[in-house]
Amino acid sequence: MNHQGGWELIKNTWQSWLQHRGFFFLLAFGWMLPLLVYLMIWSAAASEGSLTGLSQDTLAGYYLVLVLVNQLTYATTNWTVGDNIRMGQISRWLIQPMSPLYHALSSEIAGKVVFMLFSVPVTAVLALIFRPQFNLSWQQSLLFLPSIVLAWALRFFWGYWLALLAFWATRADSLLALQDTMIFLLGGHLAPIRLLPNWMQSLAKILPFRYMSAFPVEILTGFLDKNEIFSGLLIQLGWTITAYLLYRLVWIRGVRHYEAVGG
Amino acid sequence: MAEPIITVKNLTKVYRVPERAPGLSASIRGLFKPKFQDVEAVTDINFTIQPGEMVGLIGPNGAGKTTTLKMLSGLLYPTHGEAKVADFTPWDREPEYLQRISMVMGNRSAMNWDIPPLDSFRVLSKIYKVPQDQYQRTLDELISLLDMEALLKKPVRNLSLGERMKCELVAGLLYHPDVLFLDEPTLGLDVAMQRRLRIFLKQYNQQHQVTVILTSHYMADVSALCERVMLIHHGGLIFDGALQELADKLAPFKLVKLQFTTPPSNLEGFLTQFSTVEYLPSENGHHILRVARSDVPKVTAEILSNLPVADLSVEDPPIEAVIDQIYEEGKV
Amino acid sequence: MQGLRLIFEFFKVSTQAELAYRANFFIRFLNAILNLVTGVLSLTVIFNQVDSIKGWDLPSAMALLGVYLLLAALRGLFIGPSLESVAGMDGEIWQGTFDFTLLRPVDKQFLISFRHWRVLMLFDLCLALGVLGYAIHLMQAELTLLAVLGFIITLIAGVALLYAALLAFSALVFWNSGFLFTWIINDLFQLARYPVELYPVWLRLVLTWIIPVGLMTTIPAQALSGRLSWQWLILTLLFTIGALIGASWLFRQGLKKYTSASS
Repeated sequence: MNHQGGWELIKNTWQSWLQHRGFFFLLAFGWMLPLLVYLMIWSAAASEGSLTGLSQDTLAGYYLVLVLVNQLTYATTNWTVGDNIRMGQISRWLIQPMSPLYHALSSEIAGKVVFMLFSVPVTAVLALIFRPQFNLSWQQSLLFLPSIVLAWALRFFWGYWLALLAFWATRADSLLALQDTMIFLLGGHLAPIRLLPNWMQSLAKILPFRYMSAFPVEILTGFLDKNEIFSGLLIQLGWTITAYLLYRLVWIRGVRHYEAVGG
Repeated sequence: MAEPIITVKNLTKVYRVPERAPGLSASIRGLFKPKFQDVEAVTDINFTIQPGEMVGLIGPNGAGKTTTLKMLSGLLYPTHGEAKVADFTPWDREPEYLQRISMVMGNRSAMNWDIPPLDSFRVLSKIYKVPQDQYQRTLDELISLLDMEALLKKPVRNLSLGERMKCELVAGLLYHPDVLFLDEPTLGLDVAMQRRLRIFLKQYNQQHQVTVILTSHYMADVSALCERVMLIHHGGLIFDGALQELADKLAPFKLVKLQFTTPPSNLEGFLTQFSTVEYLPSENGHHILRVARSDVPKVTAEILSNLPVADLSVEDPPIEAVIDQIYEEGKV
Repeated sequence: MQGLRLIFEFFKVSTQAELAYRANFFIRFLNAILNLVTGVLSLTVIFNQVDSIKGWDLPSAMALLGVYLLLAALRGLFIGPSLESVAGMDGEIWQGTFDFTLLRPVDKQFLISFRHWRVLMLFDLCLALGVLGYAIHLMQAELTLLAVLGFIITLIAGVALLYAALLAFSALVFWNSGFLFTWIINDLFQLARYPVELYPVWLRLVLTWIIPVGLMTTIPAQALSGRLSWQWLILTLLFTIGALIGASWLFRQGLKKYTSASS
């Protein structure tokens, strides 16, 4: 493994991304907007009647944290994997003395920093408008950290193995759109999980999508009790390992296939 | 003399371009305080062109060729100065004007890449309101001139660079423009394809009397097609006249190539009697002399009568070498 | 008429290009279904919690969703792809091939508005009409002729407003060619999913009079349920005409800018 090469890559990626900052701020804006729409819709709903114990200010807290968590866990790179395979960019990476995963990771890490340059100030301003309320505790904040790292890893590797299907099918990235939709519906974007109808709640708790975005937010905003947090972390860890194994499997098979057909 | 079809007076174009320094910290600084610079792309140029002429616009990269071409086609407003092409002011871009001109660029494509060229041509014929029968006739003529029957049904994406250029030319000529602007039409093509396109352009120009302004990096394009050249350097027009005249002016000498039956013992000593002859290093048995134009008859006569000559030829220096010299010196 | 003939040609050629790739079928189909499912499911989830928000109940919100999907389908059918091909990512401005468009002896605004068609969006259009029909069925009210007439008029105004907004944002690209202005309006258009009355007052004003995505869907949906006053109808129409003129003016200014400063 070549860590220094990886770091140089990250620095280079930063530099080129700063040139295109407008583009990335736009992406960040686009991810933020639907969440804000549902924050406002649920706020309006909460102003008319009680929503199983959720008030306007707890909703605001939930959604504003979700904005940041969503940006931190969204794996933009996965959208370029298909193109890199189709255009033959991957050949160049395969002959470099460094795992191609570094290319994905470098733009991931560089990207998060650039996105945060936009999102943190904007969320701060939004906090002034929507007046969120938090009840933070030490344990919650501590458990939030592993859960957000796992959420990022799960979302990244899950999207990565889907995107790698481009070795066989040209338009595999439409599966990423499907993943985004599932996260929207079951990952706490459309509504906090507890506001969903029962059948959707049970689905959300089993499938990986909640653990890619809403779960860390639920921990931090105090939606969950101790048991729910620990069982959730276990499920999250299980899905993350599954996603990683799927990535390894698809990658090894994919490269073999790529070498066999010559790109 | 007929009325000129293109008249250009004091045409000038100044751009404001951002400056960008290398390095991460500089690009961060650039976020807050962008710097700009004024660049004179074209400075005060004047010329006229007669109908049916083929004129080569040459000059090094960044000299202002493309800017001039863009102003003449109407894609750019000049900073000041005026131009008339076919009695229109180009940058008004009146439909009647656009109907009469065409722009073909070697590095940009006017075709839709996902569909076969034939379909793109049909759409263009509708945009330019070409009557159906005339469209068919023009298309048949162009297709046979360019020998491209086989390409018509493949998506443009799958065509080679040369095949694509043929399509660009057809797309540009479908509606019989009177003025054709060609910007680097042979860029990146192989030698055979370059020649093919040159022959086509020459033929087409003779048959249809279209006025052509051509920019190219390949002097072979210009010397094969254009009797007249305009040389632009640092935005100024520094030469406008016959290509031959440019060569004569710049290179007032010819190259005499010699081969001998038996190597002469003291060739260089023999040559010292002529003050204007320069001996260039010989290449595989060929001896090359650089001789002032006016002395060529005298020198060759002396050599032929005194030395055991097997073969003698007199040539112009390669035009590329001449042009390189101007680009470096910046004046004629 | 040359205009109609050209539109027909553009439509024919675009259809040909789109049908050349079989994968497009699958992807458009998937996207349309995902859009429908997320839209309907979102409303179900919301109105599972509350009966109505600020006077909007499930049937009227469903009607608005129908209008939204209809506008989105029309945008995807030709307005979007045509303007994207000029001002979007990898568009003509980006690639420098806009020069050819400028040299065509046809009105430029016409050319850039109708040039590219995505025929498979007709499928989305059908789904949108289905949602509208379902909403009318849910309303169970007698539809008066006047309401239907008002709906059709305001719907046309909505399409025109959408077109004006997209054109105006596309025109901005002439001032800054590196920025994807069309993405902003595409993002903001998502706000039209829900009635403007559900948003905070300041945002409602912005979405009505500055970036009129609110007007596009809220007004037709109100007209359908017979809640639109004639004053608002006239105001909407006047505003639409103004927006069309303004957008066209901005586009022409943009062309001027482009031809004086491009390199």
